[in-house]
Parts: sequence; structure tokens; C-alpha cells
Amino acid sequence: MKKITVLIVLILPMLSFSQETDTKDNTIFKQFLDNLSGSLETNGQWYTNDAVLGDFEDPLPEFDLRNEHIRVNSYLRLDYSFLENFTVGLQAESYEPLPLINYYPEYNDTRIATYYANFRNKKLDITAGYFYEQFGSGLLLRAFEERQLGLNTALRGGRIKYTPTDFLDITALYGQQRVAFDVSESDIFGFDTNFDFTKAFEIKGLNRLSLGLSYVGKKEDFTPPVNEFDPENEFDITDFPEMINSYSARVDVDFGNFYINTEYALKGEDVTFIPPALPGDGILEGKYFDGNALIFTAGFSKRGLGISNTFRRMENMTFTAERNAKDISSTEFQFNMQNLNYLPTLTKQQDYSLANIYIYNTQPGLFLQNFGGQAGEIGNSLDVFYNFKKGSKLGGKYGTKFTMNFAYWALLDAEFNQTESTYNAEFLKFGNRLNRDINFEIRKKLNKNWSSIFTYINTIVDKGVALGGNLGTDGDIKSQIVIADVTHKLGSGKSVRLEGQHLWTKEDKKNWAGATLEFVASSKLAFYVTDIYNYGNEIKEDQNHYYNVGGSFTKGATRVALNYGRQRGGLLCVGGVCRFVPENTGLTLNINTSF
Amino acid sequence: MKHFIRLLVFAISFTLSAQESLPTTEIKTLDGTTTSLQEISKQNDLIVVSLWATWCVPCKNELDAINELYTDWQDETNVKVYAISIDDSRTVSRVKPLVNGKAWDFDILLDTNNDLKRELGAATVPLTLIIKNGKIVYRHSGYTPGSEDSLFEEIKKHS
Repeated sequence: MKKITVLIVLILPMLSFSQETDTKDNTIFKQFLDNLSGSLETNGQWYTNDAVLGDFEDPLPEFDLRNEHIRVNSYLRLDYSFLENFTVGLQAESYEPLPLINYYPEYNDTRIATYYANFRNKKLDITAGYFYEQFGSGLLLRAFEERQLGLNTALRGGRIKYTPTDFLDITALYGQQRVAFDVSESDIFGFDTNFDFTKAFEIKGLNRLSLGLSYVGKKEDFTPPVNEFDPENEFDITDFPEMINSYSARVDVDFGNFYINTEYALKGEDVTFIPPALPGDGILEGKYFDGNALIFTAGFSKRGLGISNTFRRMENMTFTAERNAKDISSTEFQFNMQNLNYLPTLTKQQDYSLANIYIYNTQPGLFLQNFGGQAGEIGNSLDVFYNFKKGSKLGGKYGTKFTMNFAYWALLDAEFNQTESTYNAEFLKFGNRLNRDINFEIRKKLNKNWSSIFTYINTIVDKGVALGGNLGTDGDIKSQIVIADVTHKLGSGKSVRLEGQHLWTKEDKKNWAGATLEFVASSKLAFYVTDIYNYGNEIKEDQNHYYNVGGSFTKGATRVALNYGRQRGGLLCVGGVCRFVPENTGLTLNINTSF
Repeated sequence: MKHFIRLLVFAISFTLSAQESLPTTEIKTLDGTTTSLQEISKQNDLIVVSLWATWCVPCKNELDAINELYTDWQDETNVKVYAISIDDSRTVSRVKPLVNGKAWDFDILLDTNNDLKRELGAATVPLTLIIKNGKIVYRHSGYTPGSEDSLFEEIKKHS
């Protein structure tokens, strides 16, 4: 496979250059190129030793031994379409000589990672090879790619989508989940259908009334573990869930200004794991538990005002391609690999650096034997968007945009009998609080050349969630953050942006201050310098600056960004998926282009 | 490293012939109707597409800025702006209230599992495209204050 990649990579550019020299005899080749599209993303980093933070160290001992300071992750995607309805494509990925730190260690080579062939017309969409998919809100199935986190859960197999009319669609799929350059040792089956009543029966006065139903099945063989201390003792495999059948139903109603989206999922019985510190064979014998989730969003919006509230309850909803990825001591669990479904954290996703220090992480799983036991999560998130009109008292000349978010998340209230390995969870009862978040954002254009964004965040995050450990019992981290972000236009595409941030907390590493200065020279070229400073840290030696300087150049479909600086350690979360990242210092180069 | 250089050379050699045709990838309107970039461009000669997300500050800055000028743009050029949200199920429920709260006048579309984003090779948002008669004629990623003016210059060239 490697050789093929190299060959393709070598030959195609030659062909492409030759096209330049030959102008008349190139119709076939030109046509070939017209039908070809693709993109390249390259993220390289040179990790340097830091006099203050210490020498570069890879958290994985086997990688650390190789002492590679320069690492490059690259993704090349090619799609070729022909005969109107057909497309073929592939994605080659390269992690050389090793992946960037904190990537799943099996991303460690240069290979063709995914490939597919697709036929699509008005009614049919057939794919063989690797494909991405999401059923409903993803409570049971989401195959997706998130390069920054090293996640790619594409399925390898086949999928048929059939849309006979504009009010009905049906999807059936089979596949094995991609796991780095391999696939899972399990088979995934899926079926999904959506029916739109408004279109089918031409209902007046209703923008939308639709029903969706999904099924996801997972089949994985099981070899019973042998008890080291008692090899005679056989693992009882009666009722063992090799096949897990899961179902979900959803209804979306939209009355115009008012709308409701709701989905309920029932996950079939699956195993739980005994924590490594306790005696046992890993998998709990003879006790299997099903899971469920309910998500309910209601919103009201009209011009100038938007309100949306989402309630979600999840009990034992971790659903992985291979059961071992549910074991918290597995590498796959630690790197968030092999998730079949998508259960994002529903707090507001913040852009500013200090707002990403103490953040909440969703807790969907069942852990029967860990600490006091935990069964899942329950909570609510409310958003309000309001526009003070131009000319009004608060709106001023340009109007003022106001955003508010309130979120509250808690453990499911449940009782655990750890000697019997059973539990009982309440349906709508909040257990210990894990997170409470109130934040406001005001955007105001002051005059033709000045505009500003003010943000206030008041958060309470459970210590167990933010720093690791038992959940809901070890106290909280309360913090407040104020951010002012001001942009001044200098004319002819130039502008300056200044951002000041401050975080107050009496816990953990105490107060932080931060600032960013950005200079935009044109729509193509920008530079910035930023620093966050943990001046409140009680340990004097740890009162660190995390500075960064960099710039970016954009032209057409190509963007190049260069950055030097220190990255703060901590939980790295994108789209609700998080992982611990150690501090590091270095030079980063990102190149993206598409064609 | 060698591989990387090969990839780079390879990709750069291709940028000489940039993608023009439009993806047929399915995207959804806010009321759940399925459409695609290709279909939208069949209905309008000249469109601007912006890939954005509710959590992306520069994206919202760009769309706020365009919204203020949108009526003038339409008077002058007949251009239509489509804002395609790449919010996944973590944040997609914020799209509709945010759009209304901000009183944006664009057509809003959803690319919830990022199929279109992948097909367009957009590593970052915002990504802004001008599409004329079914062909991508201009492409820019990122937003800097004032770049809405240069975007409008480009629009005028193609109107």
C-alpha cells in the first residue's frame, strides 16, 4: 500500500506539470483535471526544550525513547468524478516520523487511509468503501472525522440511501469502524428512515412535522477471559451480549416561531468493566446493562429574538465499536477512540483561551464499581439571543447584539449496590452537581471603525471533572472570567485587534491574566502575539507565561500559518471530546490547500 | 519528512488547476428539506456561500458585517448569500435562535456531519466562496475586518 501511495504521489504531479508544456493535445488530460478535486492539510510541529517548562517529553514512553522533535501530520484527499453520477476518492494520511503528541499511537505511518466509490442520482446514493454518516442527532451512530483530535470513525463497508419522494428517505448500511489504519473487529449494521408529514400531507400552518426511526446493531465475538488465579473457573457466557441491538425515534415539529426537536434512544444490553484496581477478569460476569438517552429541545425565535432550551438525560450511553474501548484502562478509551455514537458536552463552546481552562465534560457512561458508582448525566442548557434595534436606547446607531447562556449538569441520581453489582437510576432526578455555567456576550459596533465584544463567564465545574478523580464529591472550582475584545479598522483592509482577559478563582492554580494583539495587514496577511499568565499561582516557579507569536498568509484556497510558543497543558476538548495534553513548546506550521 | 515533501509538491502542482465544479453533497435547510450546492446555484446565477459555525467568532463577525451591507449588495448586484453552518449536534440547536437573534437576512443551511466541509477541503472556517453559473470563481478562508469590502469588489466583477 505504501508503495502505491508513493507511486501515485510521484506520477501525478509529473503529469500535471507536463500539461503545462503541452497546450493543444491536452483535452483528455484537462478533462481529467477538471473532474479531479482534493485538498491537502499539513500540520507540522518542531518541539523544543524549554528552559522553564522543561525538556520536550512525549507522554508515550515508547515514542519518547525515539526522541523525535519534528513531527508532521498530513492529510491528502482526492475525489474524481466521472460519467455524471460516479465519484471515486481516497484519503492518504501521513504521520511522520511519528504523530504529533497526543494522537492515538497507531496513527504512525504513511498510508492510504480511506477510499470509496459512489454512485448518486436523484433517488439513489450508493457507496462502497469508507463513508461518513449520522443518524438523527447521533445518539446511536455518528461516523465522522475530526483531524485536530485524531478522530476518524468512518465505516468501511457499504451504504445505500434511497429517497423515493421528497418526504421519505431510507438508509441501510453495513461496515466496520476505522481505527487508525485498521478497522474494528466488529460488524456494524444500521438502518434509518425519515418521514416528513408536512410534505406528505401538505399540512398548512406547520413548517415541519417529521418522524425519524433508527436501528444500530453491533456484533462482536467474545472469547471468555481466563482467570489467572483460578483457571478452572469458567466465565459463564449464557446471555452474553455479542449482538447489541439499539433503537431510536425522533420527532421534529416546527410551527414557524416555535419549534421542538426530540429524540429518544434505547441502547441494548452491554458489558461493564471492573476497574483494574479491583479483583476480577475485567468484564463483569453475568451482569449486563442497557442504556437510554432522551434529548428535548424547545425554541422560540422571531426576528431579533431567539431562545432555545435543551434538556438531555443519558444513562449508560457509551457505545463503542469494540467493547474493550469501554474499559477505562484501555488506550482506546483514553484517546476517545471507537465511539459509535456522538454524545457532546452541551455547554457553550468558547473561543477564548482563558475560557477553556475550567470546562465541563459530558459524563454519559456507567461505572458501577468505580468510586461510589456513576450511571450517567442529566441537565439543561438555555440560550438567549437578542438584538437591540438600531436607534433604540441600548441599540445606538448600529444595534447591540446580546447573547446569554445558562447550563446546569449533574450526575444522574442513582443508588448502587456494589456487592451485588446492580444499580437503580431515577428518571428525572438530579444527583450531585457537576457544572453550572452562566455567561453573557455583548457585541457592539461603536462607530464606523471601532467594534467590540464583551464577555462575562461565571462557571462552577466539579473538581473531579476538571482535574480528574471522583465525581460530585470533591468540591468545585468556581471561576469568573471577563474578556474585552476590541477591533479598530485602519482602512484599506488593515486593522488592529486587542483582546484582554482575566480569570479569577480561589481554587487550583488561582488567577490568570491574558492579552492578544493582532495586526491584520490585508485580507491575506495577519500577525498576532498573545500571552496568558498564571500570575496567581501560589507556587512561584509555576507562575508561567504561555506566550505565542505567529502569522498567517491566505491566498485563494491556500492558507499557511506559522506559530511559535508554549501550549498550556490540560484537557483538550473539541466538539465535546476531550483528552489530557501536557505542556509543550515549539514551532508549528499549518498548511491547507484545496484544488 | 520525505513523504510530506512529496505530498506538498503533489498538492501544489494541482492548485494550478483549481476545482470549479460544485459538490452534490446533501445539505439541509432549517426546515429539514434536502438540497445541495449544485441545486442552489441552478436557482441563482450569482451566490456567495459562507461556511460558518455558532462557536466561531470571526465567522460571526463576517456575517454580521455582510448583513449590514446585504441590502446594498442586493440592490447593486442581485447576489444571494447562503450561510452554511457546520455546527454538529453539540451546537446545531443554537443555529436558528442565533440567526434570528442576530436578525440575519441570509438563507441558512446545515452541514451537520460536515460532509460538504470535507468535500470542499475546508480545514478551517469561515470559508467564503463566490459561485457564478455553477462554478466556484472565488475562494477565501478566514475573515479579517474590512474583507467584506474586497469580497464585494469580487462580487461586482462577476455580476
